[in-house]
Amino acid sequence: MSDIILDKSEILRYLGHKGRTVRGDIMNMIDSCVDDILKTARYRYIYKIFDIKIGFQNGESCIELLGTNIRLTGNDIYEHLRDCKKCVLMAATLGIEADNMIRVAQNTDMLRAVVLDACAADFIEKVCDLAQNEIKQKAEEEGFGTNFRFSPGYGDFSLANQRSLLNLLDAERKIGLTLTDTSLMIPGKSVTAIIGFAKNYSAPVKKSGCDICSMRDRCKFRKAGSTCGRN
Amino acid sequence: MDVIDYIKSNRLIFDGAMGTMLQRAGLEAGGLPEVYNIEHPETVLSIHRQYIDAGADVITSNTFQANAFKLKGSGYSVEEIIASGVALAKKSGAKYAALDIGPLGQLMEPMGTLGFDEAYKLFKEQLIAGEKAGADLVLFETMSDLLEVKAAVLAARENTSLPVFVTMTFQEDGRTFVGCDPVSAAVTLSGLRVDALGVNCSLGPDRLMPVIDKLAAHSRVPLMVQPNAGLPSIRNGETSYDITAEEFAGYMRKIAEKGAAVIGGCCGTTPEYIRKTKEAIADLPYVKLESPRETAVCSGTKTVIFDQGVTLIGERINPTGKKKLKEKLRAQDFGYLVGEAISQKDAGADVLDVNCGLPEIDEAAALTRAVREIQAAVNLPLQLDSSDAAAIEKAIRVYNGKPIINSVNGKAESLEAILPIAAKYGAVVVGLCLDESGIPEAAEGRLRIAEKIIAAAESFGIPKEDIIIDCLVLTASAQQSLVIETIKAIRLVKRLGVKTVLGVSNVSFGLPARPILNSVFLAAGFGAGLDSAIVNPMSAEIMKVFRAYKVLNNQDKDAVDYINNYADYKTENTLSAGPAEKSDISVSDGDLKTAIIDGRRELARDLTGELLKTSDPISIINQYFIPALDIVGDRYESGTVFLPQLIQSAEAVKSGFGVLKESSATEDGGRGKIILATVRGDIHDIGKNIVKMLLENYGYDVIDLGKDVPEEVVVKAAIKHDIKLIGLSALMTTTVKSMKDTIAALKKAGCKAKIVVGGAVLNEEYVEFVGADYYGKDAGVTVKIANEVFGHGN
Repeated sequence: MSDIILDKSEILRYLGHKGRTVRGDIMNMIDSCVDDILKTARYRYIYKIFDIKIGFQNGESCIELLGTNIRLTGNDIYEHLRDCKKCVLMAATLGIEADNMIRVAQNTDMLRAVVLDACAADFIEKVCDLAQNEIKQKAEEEGFGTNFRFSPGYGDFSLANQRSLLNLLDAERKIGLTLTDTSLMIPGKSVTAIIGFAKNYSAPVKKSGCDICSMRDRCKFRKAGSTCGRN
Repeated sequence: MDVIDYIKSNRLIFDGAMGTMLQRAGLEAGGLPEVYNIEHPETVLSIHRQYIDAGADVITSNTFQANAFKLKGSGYSVEEIIASGVALAKKSGAKYAALDIGPLGQLMEPMGTLGFDEAYKLFKEQLIAGEKAGADLVLFETMSDLLEVKAAVLAARENTSLPVFVTMTFQEDGRTFVGCDPVSAAVTLSGLRVDALGVNCSLGPDRLMPVIDKLAAHSRVPLMVQPNAGLPSIRNGETSYDITAEEFAGYMRKIAEKGAAVIGGCCGTTPEYIRKTKEAIADLPYVKLESPRETAVCSGTKTVIFDQGVTLIGERINPTGKKKLKEKLRAQDFGYLVGEAISQKDAGADVLDVNCGLPEIDEAAALTRAVREIQAAVNLPLQLDSSDAAAIEKAIRVYNGKPIINSVNGKAESLEAILPIAAKYGAVVVGLCLDESGIPEAAEGRLRIAEKIIAAAESFGIPKEDIIIDCLVLTASAQQSLVIETIKAIRLVKRLGVKTVLGVSNVSFGLPARPILNSVFLAAGFGAGLDSAIVNPMSAEIMKVFRAYKVLNNQDKDAVDYINNYADYKTENTLSAGPAEKSDISVSDGDLKTAIIDGRRELARDLTGELLKTSDPISIINQYFIPALDIVGDRYESGTVFLPQLIQSAEAVKSGFGVLKESSATEDGGRGKIILATVRGDIHDIGKNIVKMLLENYGYDVIDLGKDVPEEVVVKAAIKHDIKLIGLSALMTTTVKSMKDTIAALKKAGCKAKIVVGGAVLNEEYVEFVGADYYGKDAGVTVKIANEVFGHGN
């Protein structure tokens, strides 16, 4: 349904592959899963731009989203946005069809399910990239540079923020993105993120997300000497 | 006048966008609009009055999100928000005040974690508060999931006497966020006998036309339409919509001409839009929607219309005469039923019959669980098959869509038990041509019973379109002279204007080459006008008749399906519908192991079959399956193979196991019983399912409790099955807490089982924190732990 192209080397990486040749049957499975998920998933994204300012709450610095009742607290989100004039809130999802497809595949073919899951992981990253490019253009039109995608669950920016971010975006109504009462997003292949706009970002800012990641010590990618790519 | 009667002869105008108006009045983004009912009632009232001035007959209360889940942390109770909201709607002077209820905000199982009963309870609380506050009707709007709507409608019907209006929201591709299409929505909601159904929000009226046409074509109740003012765009921080009030009104007139009796607006429709709409339709006479004359059944996302050709109902999920299915039902292994459902769908079934009747099990519980599990995997409509009315009622409550009930018959007792259920839940019902004196021999006698069933159904308000008559098949070996009476009876019954069905296979009982008789009899039935048949879609002969007839009756357009299936057909061919052709192989000692290591499923299956001729199942497992898996497991651990290869090998063993189980009395789980669960609050279960597969490969009996499993369910299962090893999985830092709670609950209950934990977020250090005994780093390690606990050396 789209101009999105999935990256097979990324999919292999999600599957834990480390540079050996891949058996033909597994490459065929990847090809067929890539086709199927591109055909089936109905991805959507939304974003909103907010003016921000630094505020204080309970004696600590926080980020206020102007025109809303939302204050973002925690060191890491503060560091992410402290030099910014604006930020964008984005949410992206592959839709429930991707979840359904992976769930149903588990009944008949676990290999297929696992490969579809890896394809979906790459797919949602690509959707986020698409959204981010669009956002970056908007920022540039206004004379800003952008930094990277920062999501609830990174560092000390708690998952509990998910609810207010999704409410602010009206994400349930606009893209069908919901939360369980344990703050997990359904559809499962979904991402929320905050990107900062600042005058002094000339080139895209790259910064290792690992430094602030709560999975840092047990991440399978880091153990294998790479990263998950979310940085 | 009662609003239900009013809309049968008058057009009813609803108001427009509360959210848009509140934002203009200063509601902060991200704020809960419903608290304005209490904190700024004058603002809400003034908005209501602007819509009344614009000509709205109905004011919708500002209570869209007023459920216990969404109000959490707002400082107000559901009752407070709804009482104040409805009071304001009434105070506005509206002809009718509608209690507004939106989706609960959590997705229902199996996509999400919200259970049917929980959803019902949340809606019930809102509905009771709304009726108490004096609402004249309830509007469920912006809905996506038909099952959630069903919980809402049942909660309304069973706890209030409010008229029920329902609108759903569809995307540009014509489906809701969870994949529901307008036809399935119209069919299901008409079945549930809501008082009006339709669409709101979504898009502008221009782009909604295709959805409206489909709803209008398949609805039996008045149609309701509340579009957005087009697509939103943001300019200078202000949201605006791309359709003007005048354009909107023009479209709304067209929509009223299509038969919408209830109209209004959604996002972006200010009072101006409603005023212009009212003016635009003022001179348009009321247009009554034609009720469709069709027999339609559906799941939450797919409709089958019997009037569009012959329909194949898969018969295989029925334990009668099926030893293996009986075993699986007793063991509550629903995965097997799901497998049967998927294979019948793949073979070409349109609808699936589901029967869980076994004397020694709780049929109501089994049928209900089967419905949930099958609907989670297959989108075909189901036929709930039971002679127990209580089992049917329990299962039909949680069924997503409009099902078939199989069956009612001409006995007074049956009519009185089954028809009220069919009427209340909106099902199509199969009527068997038998009564207190048995099956009439002559066709005319069966016709009389069919007439009786139709008349009785009518008295419950069930239209003829929702009845499928089964003229009943007698066995050629026992009552040969009566077989043709069935064919005659089909011709007679068809004149009554109902659909017909036959369970064909009975005709050949006791005779050889049953598929020949079955398929010829089926063809004879089609010749007499038979609409559907309950048959085995895995039978090549049956499928030949179906596919051929679908070409002849112009159902399979351009014979696409027929050509796909028979392009390579050769006379004298011996196609079987079973597994694919045998691989041409010779068996020598190492082959099976190699096949497993290489992950070659078909080869592993065939080699297992060959070996079984000379070897017993236990030695095949011990000498081939386990050593091969050990090798793959070691290679996985050392990093020389990666996850897909491990799984491919596990799938190969699984197909080998399939052969062992088919051919002999190999019992599952010789090595011991293990419970697996993804803990409460967590919904990630793919890792757990990989562990399950591998454990089963090694001969363990896995009791899989699923995902989002509450502590008490784990405890109960552990005690009931006297479990030695429990595996718990969590993927999120936030749900590790549930893991700890589950283990604490197990210990408190005195459970002595060893506990292994796993999941992406865990590591060795967490084992102590959560109180577990082992850390299962991956599926291979977990197998080793199981072997250690159960004393099976590696």
